[in-house]
Amino acid sequence: MGDFIVWLVWIGAAVACVGSGVLVISFQNPFFSAIALIGNLASLAVLYLLLSAEFVAAAQVLVYAGAVVVMFLFVIAYLGGQADAPWAGRQTWTLYAAAIAAGAILIEVVMAVGLATSDRLTDEARIEESFGSPAEIGRLFLADHLLAFEVTSIVLLVAAVGGVILGAHSRRADERA
Amino acid sequence: MTAAAWICLCSPLAGALAITLAGTRISPRLAGYVSTGSVAVAFVAAVVAFVAILGKDGEERVAESTAWSWLTAGDLDVGLSILVDPLSVVMMLIVSGVGALIVGYSIGYMDGDDEERRYFAYMALFVFSMLLLVEAGNFLILLVGWGLVGLSSYLLIGFHHERPSAVAAAKKAFVMNAVGDATMALALFLLIYETGTLDYFPNFEAADGMSSTVVTLVALGLLGGAVAKSAQIPLHTWLPDAMEGPTPVSALIHAATMVTAGVYLIVRTHPIFEAAPAIQDLAAGLGALTLLVAGLIALVQVDIKRVIAYSTMSQIGYMFLGAGVGAYANGIFHLMTHAFFKALLFLAAGIVIHALVGEQDIRNMGGLRRLMPRTYVAMLVGALALAGMPPLSGFFSKDSILASALALDSVWGYVLFATGIAGAFLTGLYTFRMLFLVFWGEPTPYVREHHHAHHGKEGPFSMTSTVAVLAMLALVGGAIQIAGIWHPLADFLHESVEPLVEPTVTQDWVTSLIAVGAGVAGIWLAWWIYAARRAAAPHVPWARRALEHKLYADEAYDVVFYTPSAAIARGFARFVEGPLIAGSIAGLTRGFREVGLGTGRIQSGYLRSYALAILGGVALLALVFISVR
Amino acid sequence: MRGPDVTWYLALAGTLFATGALGVLLRRSPLIVLLSLEIMLNGANLALIAFARSLGDGSGQIFALAVMAVAASEVVVGLGLIVAMARRNLELDVDEMTTLRG
Repeated sequence: MGDFIVWLVWIGAAVACVGSGVLVISFQNPFFSAIALIGNLASLAVLYLLLSAEFVAAAQVLVYAGAVVVMFLFVIAYLGGQADAPWAGRQTWTLYAAAIAAGAILIEVVMAVGLATSDRLTDEARIEESFGSPAEIGRLFLADHLLAFEVTSIVLLVAAVGGVILGAHSRRADERA
Repeated sequence: MTAAAWICLCSPLAGALAITLAGTRISPRLAGYVSTGSVAVAFVAAVVAFVAILGKDGEERVAESTAWSWLTAGDLDVGLSILVDPLSVVMMLIVSGVGALIVGYSIGYMDGDDEERRYFAYMALFVFSMLLLVEAGNFLILLVGWGLVGLSSYLLIGFHHERPSAVAAAKKAFVMNAVGDATMALALFLLIYETGTLDYFPNFEAADGMSSTVVTLVALGLLGGAVAKSAQIPLHTWLPDAMEGPTPVSALIHAATMVTAGVYLIVRTHPIFEAAPAIQDLAAGLGALTLLVAGLIALVQVDIKRVIAYSTMSQIGYMFLGAGVGAYANGIFHLMTHAFFKALLFLAAGIVIHALVGEQDIRNMGGLRRLMPRTYVAMLVGALALAGMPPLSGFFSKDSILASALALDSVWGYVLFATGIAGAFLTGLYTFRMLFLVFWGEPTPYVREHHHAHHGKEGPFSMTSTVAVLAMLALVGGAIQIAGIWHPLADFLHESVEPLVEPTVTQDWVTSLIAVGAGVAGIWLAWWIYAARRAAAPHVPWARRALEHKLYADEAYDVVFYTPSAAIARGFARFVEGPLIAGSIAGLTRGFREVGLGTGRIQSGYLRSYALAILGGVALLALVFISVR
Repeated sequence: MRGPDVTWYLALAGTLFATGALGVLLRRSPLIVLLSLEIMLNGANLALIAFARSLGDGSGQIFALAVMAVAASEVVVGLGLIVAMARRNLELDVDEMTTLRG
């Protein structure tokens, strides 16, 4: 019974995920695309919960859906009509080539994984209760992956500085214009 | 002895370099003195070497000296070496002695020319080249001197480079000499192949043992070079045109020294020729043919210098004849006396030309006997020597050659002898035709208008003095060798060259009688027609035209060699050079440009194309990883 | 692990990635392109989390968090660029930005 429910949840989340992904790339109005992205992120959070990654799921909702998508919506609102963009113009061969390339990658990924880890994937590891909890994440960050932690913070700093600079320049250009 | 020879060789080179490097910093006159001085130093050094040789005898008279090893390739080792032996010393004396006189003469002749310094530098360079040729100790140095002499000739013939005719004549001389150079080079290649060395003596000793084909080919190659350099038939057409150069150049290069280099070559390499008797006979035959044909052509020439040029061609024919029958010492003897009287004739003609402000056509001259008596005497001496009249030098030398031909005692020898006698007749005829037309009779209107004396004298001192010296030499130079009575020259040269035939005293006297008789007959005929005007010159239009066109040799060469080559060259230019060579390069560049442009189109600037490319690359890589796994 | 095993999650991740790639290649608006990039990154994240669960190693989740941080930074810069472009009245069309041409 429990298994069945898990499967159900999984299928639902998966369908929502793929569907919202397709919607993101299909809408003409970027506002709707951003909304669809929220759906995508939410379904992904559900999947993360299924995988015992509670902290990551929470972070996903907070950071991605709460901050990134909100930023997107801000900019889309700011841009107004300028943001509307049609679908691809140019040569149709790029369309087909893109489809083929993407499909190829998909297939290859699956194949690669399947071939590489044919037996080992069926054995799952045993995990403790604390797997995926904030305490565990914190411990891993500060003990095993301290360097990644610090470097990530520097990346964030750089991004913030970059954002300020980009914003400052354009304001000056705006005043001149 | 060898030290003196080195000084003799290097002095003119130093002179030429000094004049070249000094450039316009020295006056032209000083350049003339430097040039003359350097050649005079060479002459003194040659005299020193000569005296040194006299002090030794036998084997010791031959000395080699090598400065350094010049060319080594595999087993071949060629040094920068000179050979000092009686033959080379005699040649050194002639070249530097007559050369010094002529360069001194040029100081007066070339006075006022725009580019005097260049002239004197070239003259010194030429003397150096000729000395290198005669002093060479191996075939390669000989070839170097050979080429340098040709170069100096080219430079000096084309000295008045603003005259297209002079430039054309210089090119013609150079190209024809190049043919000879090529055959000589082939001969040298054969020698290297056969004996592995280019030194004289090893090759001479090996000459007997070589297969007859090889030695014939070698001799033929050497003869080709000699024929070209000495303007014998068939490579003779350049010499008359070479008269475009200044008169002293004609005297030095095209009478006394360069054109005699062919004779020197045959005499020096006589063992090779003796091992290939067919070629030696060929040399004699060509000499005989040339002396006859040149004499005939000289009969109709109207340019005073061209008469003397054809006379040179003819006299060298005598020398070839002499070398061809093995009378080497006599050939060299004639070379020496010819240098004296031919230079004398040219230089005296130069005085005449100088006095007549550049006029060279003898039809415009006449009656100069009273206006320029001393020049007339000089020219008379030269003409008599040339015609072989006793007791002047030409008599002794020319007749000794003919006597040697007689001494062969074969049909061939008699043929050669007869040709020589006929040539003697022609020589007297054309020489005195020129003399009478120029100096006898009444002065032509042209002479009356244009003759000017040089400060009351017939010419500048530098010119008249050298002519006087040469006249003395032409007069008494024959005393060195009087057939049958004393022959110090032949004895001196005996060490280097042993003659193949020795005429008997009877043969000598018979020859002299007949030859002098023929010469006198020619002189008398000239006097009859041109001086006394008792009869008109025979008028045979086709013969005259043929002779005036030099028996159509130039036209023949044009048809046989030039026209087909030019056509082939044009064909190549159109069909090979254009489409293939230039076209392929153009095609290459075009191809590269287009590849570049095409490749450039990949960088379109479109973000999505780049992204597609990246994605495609990833897909490909993944495929690779999977399949590798 | 109850429910589907890792392969299913990976297939899903691959699909997400391919979908995002299609979006990047086929849309002309830079905003949509950025959104598609987010989808691609999420696909990668899913794969990471799935493997973390499968192997019992928490490093996968750490990696996924780092990816999230980087994605956020990149969105900041990208949006800054878009806003700068809009202020200069440049057309928001990826095909128009061709200054990087050879």
